[in-house]
Amino acid sequence: MSESRSPIINRRGFVAAGAAGAVALGMGGSIGRARAAQPVKVGLLLPLSGSLAREGQSCKRGAEVTPALLADLGMPVQLMIADTETNIDTARTRAEKLIADGAQVLIGAFESAQTLAVAQVCEQRGVPLVINIAAAPNITEQGFKTVFRNFPTAPRLVGEGLSLMKDLFKASGVTPSKAVFMHNNDTFGSAMAGAVGKIFPTLDMPFAIAETISYDGAARDLAVEVGKAKATGADLLILVAHGEDSIKVIREMVKQRFEPKAIVSPGSPGMYEVQFYKTLGKYADYSMTNLPWINPKSKMSQALLAAFAKAYPDALFEMNVGYTFEAILIAADAAKRAGSPEPKALLEVLPATNITDHVMIGGAITFDAKGQNNNTRSATIQNFGGKPLVVLPAEAAEAKPVFPVPGWQQRG
Amino acid sequence: MKQRLALLALVAAFALAPLAAGPYLLSVLMLVLTMAYLGQAWNIMMGFAGQLSLGHSLYGGLGAYVAAALFVQFGIPGALGLVAAIAVAVAAGAVIGALGFRFGVKGVYFALLTIAFAEFTRVLFEHIPGLGGPGGLFLPVASRAGVDLLYLRGHPLMFYYLILAMTVGIFLLCRRLLESRLGFYWLAVREDQEAAAALGINVFRAKMWAVMLSAGLTAAGGVFFAFYYNTLFPTQAFGMDRSISIILAPIVGGLGTLFGPILGALILTPLGETITWGTEALGFNAAGLKQLFYGLALLGIVKFLPDGVWPWLRRRLGWDGDEDGSA
Repeated sequence: MSESRSPIINRRGFVAAGAAGAVALGMGGSIGRARAAQPVKVGLLLPLSGSLAREGQSCKRGAEVTPALLADLGMPVQLMIADTETNIDTARTRAEKLIADGAQVLIGAFESAQTLAVAQVCEQRGVPLVINIAAAPNITEQGFKTVFRNFPTAPRLVGEGLSLMKDLFKASGVTPSKAVFMHNNDTFGSAMAGAVGKIFPTLDMPFAIAETISYDGAARDLAVEVGKAKATGADLLILVAHGEDSIKVIREMVKQRFEPKAIVSPGSPGMYEVQFYKTLGKYADYSMTNLPWINPKSKMSQALLAAFAKAYPDALFEMNVGYTFEAILIAADAAKRAGSPEPKALLEVLPATNITDHVMIGGAITFDAKGQNNNTRSATIQNFGGKPLVVLPAEAAEAKPVFPVPGWQQRG
Repeated sequence: MKQRLALLALVAAFALAPLAAGPYLLSVLMLVLTMAYLGQAWNIMMGFAGQLSLGHSLYGGLGAYVAAALFVQFGIPGALGLVAAIAVAVAAGAVIGALGFRFGVKGVYFALLTIAFAEFTRVLFEHIPGLGGPGGLFLPVASRAGVDLLYLRGHPLMFYYLILAMTVGIFLLCRRLLESRLGFYWLAVREDQEAAAALGINVFRAKMWAVMLSAGLTAAGGVFFAFYYNTLFPTQAFGMDRSISIILAPIVGGLGTLFGPILGALILTPLGETITWGTEALGFNAAGLKQLFYGLALLGIVKFLPDGVWPWLRRRLGWDGDEDGSA
């Protein structure tokens, strides 16, 4: 394995990076002077409590380090954070409250049902909504004029999650012959399984899925399911799991000496979580997840990473952080270009958004006629020494992918 | 008479609220009305007939999905879908009621049966791709202006007055039911099922009426939910959270009373908003703090007013002897 990490830059470097990006945005002069602009009031709707609290808190951490970084770029923002309680009724009411309290743009709401509820409020009130995370394609198919999504749709997420495996095989020169697909049978896992079942046949993948095994994430152990997976003779495990059950799967694989060429997730959260590393130690290494991720080569993301590490030394810097930062960046950029933070002014300039320097892997942030950014791109992250590193795409890679992965007993 | 006047004043206040209230306050009032409506529907089964249902989200979810699916798949207007939604929910209620009541499943065991059906249905709907599965069913949000009661498409104010009308309607219906022979049968069954049977009341039939009526009315609430929010997910539509939120208002307000669900909703929703406002104003922005205070407030109400707030308030106001005292 070879590993190369770019140095972390500080806020001064961030300004320089931002200035470089600003030239591309046609606003270079104003960045350097960092003139005192009127702050845009950003209403942030997140599930800070309830079943999605972990994810909502992760987004909130990303949001909280953002204003200082953007202020250095002459893009002042004032955050107004509201808890949707992972509840659609509350999301709608909180959206109304934020607008009543003066929010000029809303950002949120992490989950699709809540986001659609908020989108309807925004459309009614003429206030822009920048979606940080929500994948249901229908949200941008409703003809809304106030909704802008900087996040891939669910089919795109799963499609890229699978097709990145082909890139992995190409990069390593090794292709597995058959895979076994294991997934949690909860709502998320079932939705992912449905999408994989639908999209897999369209991608001309170089291997077949020998068997699909669903399991109950709350089961005491997964010996039977892992035994069944091993019996298929598959040399690739595709896993859709959460933190706790991904730990159970790996433990059982070690116990049963089930050693496929790799364990790859097409986009579930389990295998890059802090608990996964802490519990499994060396056995957590080399697991791969394909999902949108922060571009480690971008100077802006390095500054964000540094600010985040300083504010939250023990927290995981993950996708939620990056996309929430970018959503606020989009709002602040619009306010700067419009020369006013008023909702009407923001709505006039948001469709022409073109942010080339940002933090997530992918092309420039732009929106199509429906308000969807189609330039997002997933990455393959692989665990090395208790942390996730980008291994694909090559232009953003921090390390070369290890495939096939070493056996359980061959790890140091 | 005093209670009637109080009710009229309350309805008038709700009807005139859009003249003075902003969109935020209206959204809170809509939550109050939705909670009151669904609580009243549940109250028929538990408050009047004494049959504990902890899986009432089943009927709301079924109603929501049936009407939404008919609209999305076949373009059938929401108002017509409502008929089908009620029919399906009544049939589901009849099946659960027949199973439970015919085989003598009572009390907490009947409550478990209702939870089991709601959970089973949630899992079932997660595996119906035509209804969006776990990825959700989305209704097209084509018209956000005007009033189209046939298709249930329109301005939020239309939905506000619709849920207000539904809440007033269910109140009047429940009042009429309580004064009917069936209402007296329910009260007899609730107080002592064996004694009611000994007096010649067909207990099975009385309980079946309660579950079917309650299911049908809850389904109508589900249809409202589907067309207002335009999105349905099995976990939300059939989830335990939804079932619990349905039963809170009548429990806090006063089980088996007509005003209880309304008063409960009037207390709980503003209480939640007030706690949010209070914690924010004091600078306590810790997530979950609202739920903590909310839980403590509920604990206090249940501890000190175990019959609910309305019976206590009625006594305090000296309205026990009022002609509507039973309410």
